[in-house]
Amino acid sequence: MAAATLRRLPALGGRALGAGGRQGTGRPGSWLHSVAGGPGHTPRLEDWQRCGAVCLQRAATLSREKNPMESAFAQLLEQVELEKSLYSDHELQVFEDEEKIRWRQAEDYDSEEEEDVGQDIVTAQDLEDMWEQKLRQFRAADREQEADKKDDRSTLNRRLDEKLTLLVKEKVGDEEIWLLPQSEWKPGETMRQTAERTLSALSGRNELQAAFLGNAPAGFYKYKYPKAMRTSDTLGAKVFFFKALLVNGDLKARRKGDYVWVTKSELKDYLKPKYLRQVNRFIFDTAAMYP
Amino acid sequence: MCFSDGRTARQQADEEAGNWPKNFKFDILLFCGLLRRGCDLVGERGRAREIGKGVDKEAATLHGGHVLDSPAGHRPDSSFSVECFCTILSLADGESLPMRAEPKKKKKVDPRREQAVRDRLRKRLKKLERVPPELIPIEDFITRTKFLDESRIRDPPKLPVEETERRALLMKKWSRYKQKEHEKEAEMIESMIEAQQQALQELRLESEELYQAAIKRNQGLFPLELQGCRFTPPIANYEAPNGKYRDITKVYTQ
Repeated sequence: MAAATLRRLPALGGRALGAGGRQGTGRPGSWLHSVAGGPGHTPRLEDWQRCGAVCLQRAATLSREKNPMESAFAQLLEQVELEKSLYSDHELQVFEDEEKIRWRQAEDYDSEEEEDVGQDIVTAQDLEDMWEQKLRQFRAADREQEADKKDDRSTLNRRLDEKLTLLVKEKVGDEEIWLLPQSEWKPGETMRQTAERTLSALSGRNELQAAFLGNAPAGFYKYKYPKAMRTSDTLGAKVFFFKALLVNGDLKARRKGDYVWVTKSELKDYLKPKYLRQVNRFIFDTAAMYP
Repeated sequence: MCFSDGRTARQQADEEAGNWPKNFKFDILLFCGLLRRGCDLVGERGRAREIGKGVDKEAATLHGGHVLDSPAGHRPDSSFSVECFCTILSLADGESLPMRAEPKKKKKVDPRREQAVRDRLRKRLKKLERVPPELIPIEDFITRTKFLDESRIRDPPKLPVEETERRALLMKKWSRYKQKEHEKEAEMIESMIEAQQQALQELRLESEELYQAAIKRNQGLFPLELQGCRFTPPIANYEAPNGKYRDITKVYTQ
C-alpha cells in the first residue's frame, strides 16, 4: 500500500510516508501524515481537494475485422462445414439440369419425347449467376470514415470499430494539460453527482446523454499542486473517475481544439505518464487486446 | 289340499276379494323360478304349464319331492299355498314381474334422477375434454424427411496428407491463440477490479458517507438498450426498394 502511494505521488514531494491511519469521520483529513517519522516531525492534517471526473466512452458501432489467425480458422471451419453437409435443394437442381442437358445432347435424343420443350427453362445455374451479379452490384458503405483519412480526432465519426474516450484540455496552474473532464466536489453531493455535473458542464443541456455505469468510482488519481498554487490547506487533489457510456449527442459547445475523442492507444499522445498509468488500468479497447 | 292355518283374517278377506295376498309376488317368483329349474331338470317346459294348469284354485302344495326337486332345498308346506289359479309365465332373462302393487312415482324423483344422469354425463365429458395442451414442436429438432434422402449425401472428399496435416496444426494453433486471448481478458478484468477496489478504499479514507453512497446499487441502469455492431456503417441517403413484407413464420398456440 505504501509503495503504491509512493509511485503515485509526483516527483515534487519527497516526504516520508507512514502507513496511512484513518482520520475521524468529521474531518476530511489526509492520511499522509507520517506515523513512523523522526523526532520533531509533527503530523500535519493537509487538505486534499476532492474531484470527480467522468470517463465518457462511445462504444464501437462496427465490429472489428478478423486478424490473420481468426480469418484462417474461419476459413477452415467453413470448408469442414461444407464437406460434412448434405446437398441442398439448389445443388440437386443443378445436377438435374446437367443430367437433362446431357440427355438432350445424347445421340438417341428424340425431341418429340420431351414433354416441356416449349417452356423457357431457367436453369439453376442461371439463377446462381443472376444472384452473383446482383451481389456485385451492391456497394456497402466504407468502414473507414473521412475523419480517419484526415486523422481528425475531434469528431465522433471516426474509428467506428473502436471505443472512443473523451479528453479535454484544461488549465491547471500555469500549464494547459490534457485530462479527463473533472470538477471539484461540493459538499452535500455524492462523487457520482460530481461526475454528472462535470458532464453537463461540458456541453449545454441535453447535448450529451450518457448512462453512468455504477455508483462506485472506476479509478483514482492523486496529485500535488505545483508549488505556486499550494495554499496552507490544500496540497493537491484526489480525483475519482466514473465511467459512463455515451448514448446520444455530441460535444458542440466547446471550441474545436479543446477536446478529442481517442482510442486507448492514442491516449499516450495526450496524457502525462503517471496519469496515463492510472487511467490505463480501467480503460481498454479491442485493438490492444486482439492484435 | 289344505289351507294353511297360518293365514290371518286379513289374508282371508283379501283372497276372497280376489286380490293377491301381499307376500305373493315373491312366492310367485320363487314358484316360477323353481318350476323353470324343475323343467330344466326334467327337460320339458311344456310340462310345467300343464302342471301349473292343473293347480287347483283352492290350494296347491308343493311337497318337496314330487314334481320338483328344487335345488333351493325343501320348503315347508305352509309357505307355498296358492289359493287361486295362476298363470305361469316363462320369463326372459333379466325380466322382472310387472309390479302392479307399487304405484309409479313420476312427479318429483324422475326429473331429479334425469338431472343427476345429465350431470354425470357432463362430468364424464369434461374429464375427456381435459386433455393436456399439445406441446409446441421445436422445428430445429425435427429432421424433415426430405433430408433423409440418399441422393443428398455428399461424397466424402479425398484430402491429401498435407491438407489433413495443415488442418490439425491450425486447430492446435487456434487453441493456443484462444488460451492467450482468454488470459488477456482475465488480466483486463482483474486490472479493472483492482483499480476500482483501490478507488473505493481511498474514498473510504476520505469520507465514510461518500463511500456508503458509492457502494449502493445503481438502480437506474437497467433496462439498458444498446445497439449491436454491424460490419459496415449504414449507407447515406439509402432508398430501400418498394415491396410488401410478408411474415410467414409459423405461430403455434396452445
